[in-house]
Amino acid sequence: MVNKLLRQFIFATMMLFSAGHAWADLVIVTSEATGISTLSKEDVINIYLGRYRRLPNALPALPIDMAESSEIKKKFYWRLVGKTLAEINSYWSRLIFSGQTQPPAVLNSSEDAIMRILRVPGTIGYIERGTYSKLDKRLVVVLELAE
Amino acid sequence: MISPKVITHWWQGILARSIAGVLVAALFIGGVSSYLVRQSLSDREQKQAIRRLTEALETVQSTASIAAFTHDAQLASEVVEGLMRTSDILMVKIETDGKILAQDVRSLKAPSVNARLTSDMGIAVHQSSLSKPLVSPFNKTETIGHIILQPDWLMIESRVRQNVQQTLWLLLAEMVAVLLSVAAVMLFFVLRPIKAISDRLHHAAPETGAQIDIPEGHEKTEIGRLVGDVNSITNRLVMLLAHEREIQKQREIAQKKYQNLFDHATSGIFVADKTGRLDSFNPAFSELVWHAYVSQDKDPNLFDAAWQAPEKIKSLFVLALRQETAGRVSTDDFLLRGRRGDERWLSISLASLGDGSLQGTVTDVTARKQEEIQARRLAGMDALTGLANRQGLMEVLSRRTVGDVKKRPFAVLMINLDGFGQINESMGLSAGDDVLKVVADRIRAFIQVDDYSARIGGDEFVLVLEDKFACDAFDHQLRDFFAVLQQPYRMAMPDAVRVISIQASAGVAFYAADSAPGVDAHELLRHAELALMTARSAGGHTYRFFEPQLLVAAEHRRRIEDDLKQALEDGSLYLGFQPIVDLTSGTVVGAESLIRWVHPARGMVPPDIFIPLAEDVGLISEIGLLVLEKACQVVSQWRAKAQPLYVSINVSALQIPNALPPATIISALARHGLPPDALAIEITEGVLMGNVSVAQTWMTQLGEAGLRVYLDDFGTGYSSLSYLKRFPLNAVKIDKSFIHDLAEDSNDKALVNAIVTMAKSLSLDVIAEGVESAEHLSILREMGCRFGQGFLFSPAVQAHLFEETVKDIEQRLAAMPVPW
Repeated sequence: MVNKLLRQFIFATMMLFSAGHAWADLVIVTSEATGISTLSKEDVINIYLGRYRRLPNALPALPIDMAESSEIKKKFYWRLVGKTLAEINSYWSRLIFSGQTQPPAVLNSSEDAIMRILRVPGTIGYIERGTYSKLDKRLVVVLELAE
Repeated sequence: MISPKVITHWWQGILARSIAGVLVAALFIGGVSSYLVRQSLSDREQKQAIRRLTEALETVQSTASIAAFTHDAQLASEVVEGLMRTSDILMVKIETDGKILAQDVRSLKAPSVNARLTSDMGIAVHQSSLSKPLVSPFNKTETIGHIILQPDWLMIESRVRQNVQQTLWLLLAEMVAVLLSVAAVMLFFVLRPIKAISDRLHHAAPETGAQIDIPEGHEKTEIGRLVGDVNSITNRLVMLLAHEREIQKQREIAQKKYQNLFDHATSGIFVADKTGRLDSFNPAFSELVWHAYVSQDKDPNLFDAAWQAPEKIKSLFVLALRQETAGRVSTDDFLLRGRRGDERWLSISLASLGDGSLQGTVTDVTARKQEEIQARRLAGMDALTGLANRQGLMEVLSRRTVGDVKKRPFAVLMINLDGFGQINESMGLSAGDDVLKVVADRIRAFIQVDDYSARIGGDEFVLVLEDKFACDAFDHQLRDFFAVLQQPYRMAMPDAVRVISIQASAGVAFYAADSAPGVDAHELLRHAELALMTARSAGGHTYRFFEPQLLVAAEHRRRIEDDLKQALEDGSLYLGFQPIVDLTSGTVVGAESLIRWVHPARGMVPPDIFIPLAEDVGLISEIGLLVLEKACQVVSQWRAKAQPLYVSINVSALQIPNALPPATIISALARHGLPPDALAIEITEGVLMGNVSVAQTWMTQLGEAGLRVYLDDFGTGYSSLSYLKRFPLNAVKIDKSFIHDLAEDSNDKALVNAIVTMAKSLSLDVIAEGVESAEHLSILREMGCRFGQGFLFSPAVQAHLFEETVKDIEQRLAAMPVPW
């Protein structure tokens, strides 16, 4: 496992330098009002994939997803659980039938996402790092998803 | 020939047996295979169920994982329901974080499923439930719950049972089909042909050679071969039967023949085993053995007859059985005692039949036996005296010399009557017989109970005496016996009673002291005889004991005898001729032939040694004939040369009359063409002293034939002058003992003178023997003695020298100064 991670890391680093847009990283953010400064990757998985509905500080967790066709969503799930969007959709399709567990709400842009995060405490979303630096200091990065 | 019908019940047939066999085998195989099938089916079914359920679990596993991940009870329930649709699942449960997310249980038809399962299935249910872990869909290493599935074993079991039942039904059907086909095959290919053969055999008569047809279609099968074999056996059987019948017929004919022989034979015939038990016997046998054997007897036994010595018959049985291989017949005679004291001798011949039994023939030999016994009794007895004879004696001696010498010593006494011959001659044979009877009576009076007496020859008696005495006492006893024997015998003659006295000689041999071990009867008797001869040589009237030296002497004599016999054959006996000279003319007129024997080892043997011996052993007759023949030869040679000489031959008393009969002498002369005066016969006074009439007749016959007879050795014996008158003599020969001292002894001179004078007066010629000197010659001439012989003229010379000797004598005499 360590080996595999190491290999992924080396691969990511190489991609970073070769692609030209360095630091274009995914980060999971929430508002300061949410009251948490950090989340583990497992926490993020559990929240995004419907396992837990509350944050570690017991606040209801409200994850926000991006549009289906967006590049960032694809990147997010790949980095988070190593699955394609088709796989993620398949996963949700089984749960949707039962009606008990719903997938995260979908917003069309990162701006909408940030707006909702800032407005509703407990909301978490994922954005490009660049986007985050441009916008607001009220956003708290709880997890960075390196490539 | 009807064979019994063996197959009476259907279950004894081949069909039933084969079906039963197949059935048993099928049942066994079916039982085993159904058990195995059930085992394997149930095992397989269980495994299949588990696999199927595991697969079902696996298909829902990912959905269940998602449900567990999101704690979505709804989704979990859906999964559980989906699984429960499978009929053989009893219960499904999804757990997560230790809590039941979803569960469904089928309502049970019966309680305690597992217990029933184990008991019904007989198989241990290892795994009553299946469980799969549920992992996080996003992290395979994290287990977030379990899905648990309880299979419905009852359901599975009932399915297994169904399967097993089906399989078993199939098996059963198969078995029945196989049984039916086996039965059909047996019936068509085996039973029917066999039945056909059996029926044909049953009605066939093999002794007639009837053949059985081969069942159709079986020409090349085992059945066909079987029928072929049966037919060939039938053929052989027919041939054998014919052969057997022929033999049987021949046997019956033979049997009939022998049965006739058996029934009507006069000899008894029987077959018995070694214990004497009679297997069969003919009527003659029953009659002969005086035993009412009937065929109803349980165990008729030969030994039960009234034999005097049954054990002897038993030993004959043993002997006959032992000679089994030799195939010889053993025969013996047995005495049978009748109830009324009568006796019968039966001869039984036994031959072994080779199987331990014996065939015997029985013949009545009573008559022969009685004759034999009578003959034996007669054979052993002397008819005249009633004593035993030689044969009887030999039997007794043989019996007593068998065994231990020391056990019963005894003495053998051989007695010879001296001068018995004279009694026979002078008083007749019957008088002699009377004397012998008296002697026998005296012997009987002398001997004791244990003693034995026999007359073994004319006047020879033998006593076998128990040696109860010391030697001296025995001597005494013998002397007494001799005194008794020599007592005068009163003989009743027709004219008067005459008293005669007889002397006896005896020889004694002891058995024990004198005999080496193994001395037999003959030797013992010979010892006694030797002792007797010694007694007789000593002059008779006495007895002598046997000594071993006698044997040596006897052996010596025997050897001389042999030599003498040899000499007679090889010519070492020859004649010498001593010239007889006419003292008045000085010419040789004849010669006395003197027999000479040059023994190859001993040299010259004098006649006075071997002549008595020859007389003893009976060779004198042959020697006499030899002398006669030689003398005739020689004198005929002389006569052929015109020399008118004669030869005198000496004849002993034993040769007269039969050993040298006058006819023999006369015919010998005739054969050589000689006149009677060519031969003179010289006899001694002993001849004249014996049987006078015999000697007289003999001499007269010779005298009438023209032969001259000289009386030899005149003056030495009785020299009875009456002899000179009574017998037809031609000359006397004065014994040389008188001539020897003629010159010195005046008595001799007077005696010779008297003889010469007397002879002259009786017209007898006188021949002086032993003329040795010129003085003798002159004295004899003075006395008028006509003839002389002696060393003065010549000793006896051999025939071929005689002519020369004659010339020499005549020349010498002519040259003598004495005037002739």
